[in-house]
Amino acid sequence: MKASSLGEVIVVCSFSLSILIVTFMSGCSTSTVVDEQKSSSAKLSMDSEEKIVIMGRRHGNSYETEPGFIDCIGNNISRSENLNVVQEKNFLDTFYPWFEPRIAPLNLNRMKVALNSDMIAKKIEELKVRYIVWVDGSTETSEESGSMTCGMAPSGGCFGFKSWDKTSSYEATIWDLKGLTEKGKIKVDSKGSSYILGVGPPIPLIAQVQGVACEGISDRLIGFFDSE
Amino acid sequence: MGCSTHVVVVSEHPTALIKELPYKIGLVLDNSFTDYSFIREKDDEKITISLGKSQSELLNKIFNSMFQGVSEFTARPLSPTKPLDLYISVKVEDLQLSLPRETSVNIFEIWIKYKLEILDGKGSNIYEWIISSYGRTQTRFLGSQERALHQATNAALRDAGVQIVTDFHQIPEIINWINIKKAPKNES
Repeated sequence: MKASSLGEVIVVCSFSLSILIVTFMSGCSTSTVVDEQKSSSAKLSMDSEEKIVIMGRRHGNSYETEPGFIDCIGNNISRSENLNVVQEKNFLDTFYPWFEPRIAPLNLNRMKVALNSDMIAKKIEELKVRYIVWVDGSTETSEESGSMTCGMAPSGGCFGFKSWDKTSSYEATIWDLKGLTEKGKIKVDSKGSSYILGVGPPIPLIAQVQGVACEGISDRLIGFFDSE
Repeated sequence: MGCSTHVVVVSEHPTALIKELPYKIGLVLDNSFTDYSFIREKDDEKITISLGKSQSELLNKIFNSMFQGVSEFTARPLSPTKPLDLYISVKVEDLQLSLPRETSVNIFEIWIKYKLEILDGKGSNIYEWIISSYGRTQTRFLGSQERALHQATNAALRDAGVQIVTDFHQIPEIINWINIKKAPKNES
């Protein structure tokens, strides 16, 4: 092959690869919609010692709100605005078994019944838990297609193409334990497609669907509180 | 045999937030309970879940939260050295699991069926209590089967604890026994 032809081949290949990468990069972006509903336009107040607990709903038949998602929201909130957040696991262990999936209060009336127990009410007061944020939802994988084989190619790498879509849908409900009222809801829906291209070493282009949903819900939650 | 999965359940169980009853009990957990392992061999795959130690620790924590005193035995003593109000003997009746590839849903599920024999201090049967606990965990991207089964088993153990704590006081035979225990004190 002549030098000029070789150059043309390299240019064509580079161009094709660029188009492929640009296609993948645009493909693995996510779309997110966040809605909120507040009981009043005023910010939620809390003193410097009061705390928020973020908890996942796990009573559904076919899904459970991922503990990692709850940790993500908790970390974002406590990092961003110096709001005091009680870790979900600590709260569940401290109040065991009253917030386990089988018997956790699903509405404010049931929460009122739970607080009729002196032990629970005393502990809530002792820990200065003011708000409970219940997060219900999950991230599902759908539309999986393609296949990839690794270790079979002569180079020992991977060969093939795999893609999948992810959909995150979560709703957060804020309960104020002082007065037992619902202060608002935040709903987030996020979608995105991910790809793995196997041409030797696998090239993953993963859409951070759940991460984006976590950021969306965390930002809105912070906006609910007057953290000064 | 193709694949093999062995899960040793290790967990830090919480104490229960509950008012303790003023009774001393004997908790009878024999070796088949404390060393319990579930083994399933199916479709060229062997799954072993060892949960004896963890479930023994859970019951110790739960009953210590519920009662004033708990003495542990491997068998019910025929001539007890100290008087106890109740003996509670626990056995695993059954354990079942389902994997995501066997169902249409992306979750690992565990069911554990326990039988609790509740006897009074003299060894007379008060109630035979069957508890079915359930735990599950969703599949995670690149998450291991061992980890998922561990989490699901832990969830099932916590669920067993929930039922013991919340339902014990609602068993009519137990309510009746408590009323009888209280009666002489009220008369004196």
